[in-house]
Amino acid sequence: MAGFADLNVPQGPDKKGLQSLLEAAARLGYSAVALNHVIDFKEKKQEIAKPVSPSELFPSLPIVQGTSKQLKVLTRLTLVVSDPSHCNLLRSTSSNIRLYDIIAVFPKTEKLFHIACTTLDVDLVCINVTEKLPFYFRRPPVNMAIDRGIYFELLYTPAIKDSTMRRYTISNAISLMQICKGKNIVISSAAERPLELRGPYDVANLGLLFGLSESEAKAAVSTNCRATILHGETRKSACGVVYTVKKLRKVEEEETLPACKKAKTQA
Amino acid sequence: MVRFKNRYVLCEVVAEEPRGRHCIEDRAVGTAVRDAIARAYGDYGLACCSVSFTVKYLNAYTGTVLLRCRKDFHRLLCSALPLVRQLESRGLRCPCFLSTLHVGGTIRSCQKFLIQHNRRQLLTLLQNCTNEEERQRIRQSVLSCSLTEGQSQSGDEEEEDDTETD
Repeated sequence: MAGFADLNVPQGPDKKGLQSLLEAAARLGYSAVALNHVIDFKEKKQEIAKPVSPSELFPSLPIVQGTSKQLKVLTRLTLVVSDPSHCNLLRSTSSNIRLYDIIAVFPKTEKLFHIACTTLDVDLVCINVTEKLPFYFRRPPVNMAIDRGIYFELLYTPAIKDSTMRRYTISNAISLMQICKGKNIVISSAAERPLELRGPYDVANLGLLFGLSESEAKAAVSTNCRATILHGETRKSACGVVYTVKKLRKVEEEETLPACKKAKTQA
Repeated sequence: MVRFKNRYVLCEVVAEEPRGRHCIEDRAVGTAVRDAIARAYGDYGLACCSVSFTVKYLNAYTGTVLLRCRKDFHRLLCSALPLVRQLESRGLRCPCFLSTLHVGGTIRSCQKFLIQHNRRQLLTLLQNCTNEEERQRIRQSVLSCSLTEGQSQSGDEEEEDDTETD
């Protein structure tokens, strides 16, 4: 069974707070956690810094309760896009973006949602839970996203905190469910304090509130998260294809690769 | 078979500050859970879940709570449990959250799970100890409590300890 993962832990400047959050997550049973950097393009242009490696921030990672392995900490970048020109950053071969384990995009308009599902090279598409969606989901882009292996992310911490947020969360989640039939959903917290975290079985039960069936809700916390992490890894490492053809003739000719496509594997 | 089927939900109250432990009592937990159900599901949900809802067991030291509800409505209860944010008792407010450990059909199954869970906790507790003296003290305190069934030791100990039966 895939371990439980929480893919959205906002990375603030407070190191001790983060440490207590990680310890709480390990105690509740999460095997992997992703530290999230949010980049908003509405403010003036920000530089995308290199991701800080988790081993530098936390010298000793807490051990997951129930297993004997350490908590796995990944890095994640979220881009809040409200304009198509912001997406150019993703298409450019800027090396800093490539270093993040997971890339997520938060589209604000319908056109951007379409672009994110069909052409952008991301792992997660965030669904807004704090206000009424300005656009309706349509079937074609959602189906294309499911085929490409992109997952939709829902946050649950606003639902815990506030009653109006809860209504928006549930209504947005249910409208998404009606289109995608519960596939490719990831539920994560955006917890800033350890008290806002919930255990993985509780999060799966919250998924029942959002309209998922019981198996889908459990998958949303475990299997789908693992699939997203793997998607991010393949995006990081695979760039091209090596195509070798075995020639039946002389042996010397097999030394050089046929000049089809060379693999550009980045470190 | 005319028998009322129940579900027993085993949860743990996790609070940040140590002084929050004094807030934990059965009426406070019951009201907090009922509040959460009312907020999430309204009057209908509250009425459904209150049919056979009680706090069966509560341990303030470890924060273990055992709740009971009807089998048909345990989904309502389980999905409303994450919405509990604080416990109030005697004017004290303590921010905390409930984390479900196990859902079982009988009290006995929950008790079996709880025993296993506590054993694992004891293991991690002993591992986190830094010096031998603390370990000895923990072992002494565990050995000195006596139950009729006897309390088995964790596998982490080096010397042979007999289980204490009284």
